[in-house]
Amino acid sequence: MTRKLLRINMSDLSATYEDMPEKWAKWAGRGLTSAITLDEIEPTCHPLGPNNKLIIAPGWVSGTPAAPSSGRTSFGGKSPLTGTIKEANAGGLSSQKIAKLGIGAIILEGTPKDGKWYTLHITKDGVQFDDASDLMGKGMYEVDDLCWQKYPNEPAVIGIGQVGERKLSNAGISVNDPENKPGRYAGRGGMGAVMGARGVKAIVIDDAGGPGVEIADMDLFKQGRKKLTAAIMQHDLTKKDGGLNSYGTNVLMNIINEAGGLPTRNFSAGQFEGAALISGEMVAEMVEKRQSGMTGHGCHPGCIIQCSNIYPNEEGEDFVSCVEYETSWALGANCGINDLDYVAKMTWECNDIGLDTIEAGNTVAVAMDGGLLEFGDKVGALALFDEIRKGTPMGRILGQGVEATAKAFGVSRVPTVKGQSMPAYEPRAIKGIGVTYATSTMGADHTAGYTIAPEIAGVGGKVDPLSKEGKADLSLTFQAATAFIDSTGYCLFIAFPILDIAEGWAGMAESVAGVMGMEITGDDVIPMGKEILKMERIFNERAGFTAADDRLPEFMRFEKLPPHNVVWDTSDEDLDLVYAWVNGTDE
Amino acid sequence: MSITIDLAIYGSLAKLAGGKHLTKMDLELESGSRIEDLFARFNICPEDTSFIFINAVLCDVPGLNASKKEVLHDGDHVGIFSHGYMWPYQYRDGMPMSNSLKQAMREHGALHHTYTNK
Repeated sequence: MTRKLLRINMSDLSATYEDMPEKWAKWAGRGLTSAITLDEIEPTCHPLGPNNKLIIAPGWVSGTPAAPSSGRTSFGGKSPLTGTIKEANAGGLSSQKIAKLGIGAIILEGTPKDGKWYTLHITKDGVQFDDASDLMGKGMYEVDDLCWQKYPNEPAVIGIGQVGERKLSNAGISVNDPENKPGRYAGRGGMGAVMGARGVKAIVIDDAGGPGVEIADMDLFKQGRKKLTAAIMQHDLTKKDGGLNSYGTNVLMNIINEAGGLPTRNFSAGQFEGAALISGEMVAEMVEKRQSGMTGHGCHPGCIIQCSNIYPNEEGEDFVSCVEYETSWALGANCGINDLDYVAKMTWECNDIGLDTIEAGNTVAVAMDGGLLEFGDKVGALALFDEIRKGTPMGRILGQGVEATAKAFGVSRVPTVKGQSMPAYEPRAIKGIGVTYATSTMGADHTAGYTIAPEIAGVGGKVDPLSKEGKADLSLTFQAATAFIDSTGYCLFIAFPILDIAEGWAGMAESVAGVMGMEITGDDVIPMGKEILKMERIFNERAGFTAADDRLPEFMRFEKLPPHNVVWDTSDEDLDLVYAWVNGTDE
Repeated sequence: MSITIDLAIYGSLAKLAGGKHLTKMDLELESGSRIEDLFARFNICPEDTSFIFINAVLCDVPGLNASKKEVLHDGDHVGIFSHGYMWPYQYRDGMPMSNSLKQAMREHGALHHTYTNK
């Protein structure tokens, strides 16, 4: 049994299973969504028009028995927010269920001729096109509930909230978690609007009776899985009761703030006086104080890192998952808000109506900078999400994200690259991340060059981090390794143990090789990652992007960021070195 | 002569200074006090610390213990983190660092996420 492509054409409501073409056979996850996007989507098409597609792909090891923390699903296509190629991935239930149905990728294309909205029910027997009128206008908490009531076997639910229905550029795609709650978002880039443009409100995946994932070399797979699991369980950050398990990704809030690199009040300062109040440590204290909620929550079955949390409300009830670092920063520090309960309420709103929390928080911050509200106005900020939910003219502007909102309010401090707003690391203070923000194929993205083992990747000892020399190569290496991990189905956080524990790195590569039957070792990670980046870069060039788009916003070159009072001073020539190997090599 | 600093301790070490997951306090010290005097004051084992900041300047990373001799001044803010804190290399690449940490990183090979397998 080999992986199939499931092509769903909404124009004639047809579904066909195709053999995986040889040219795509080695790819999964992000590698596969980007390969299909490059080959099948016209780069100059309108992202919401009939010629864009939504590609959904589990990773190489997704759905295999007990591969640790391997529940990521990639969503790809052309982004309405950036106009570039996009891959956004999420945890939740979908990845393993799609893979267990023997499906390598779902290609969602066309537009319903009848103008109706549909729920797609995908089982081992095929695809059923159900009328979605019972779900329309509803938020994702209710959509998830209704889908589990209507469909058997506690299926995965991939869905869009009201923002996706309106095809706004900050619409994310929700995947339900093991408790059937939304909050696992393929958030960045507006891919929820692409799903909405296909006339699909929800995709319900039931893997009961599916063929499962074929494993080419079970012994090699088991060997790799064992090494990787041991590394994750051994490492200080990823083990039980380690940093991520205890405080989640929000373990970063106080560190970045201490470092002076926490974007505050729309990127006007690098430290927030209320950072500790919205940090992971405070989430842990609230869980203990209110005796509900939890830290150490898993976002998908089989996760052994369990960095998610369930935040309890003032009444002591489980309220929302997940208050993570980027979310707490965007809706907190960057809006000057130091109240964790309000951050949680806004997170719930984002989960329900279908917004990327990073873009949403930055949008509110830009609107505050433009005078709509005072920084720190938590009541006013929360009320803005009701405008978005109702689809008022104000809500539609805010739902389009940072750049549209900045234009509406006459703001020139606009923290975006290629139309996508920056995450929670100030590039003026943390120069290294700025190179990746500027040059990423996806727009400003903190996960584009997440992290990698420098020694194993061959750059350890060759790059002096105290000088600017070699930064372009280093960023490229980070970006390439991340592109590879995004293709595995593994959570990006496995990168920490595989850095410090060489057996873990080997285990990751061996587990992939075992599943796919490919000759993959650690040495292949960077070259394969670069292949993915090249496909993405070529798509962007064909869509009209040039090196001139690989720049940070102008204000960062002249507005000094306190407390270090630094500006962005990396030269354009240095930035252009990152992708010099691709530019001009388009066949 | 005494000085007053603003101290924050994050993570499990916060318990040694009276907190749960984090502790913040103003602290009076003798003039000329160093980071190692803070360790002694709260019975903190230096090997149990990871990242340490003085006034937003990175002075230590997990496993190097390069900050013990840093002299503190009146009005300084000091942030001390326990082990288990995630701060990937790329997210600190380019941060201002103390001279003693730069020297330690040159000696130990700078391009790491952490310097310990603890």
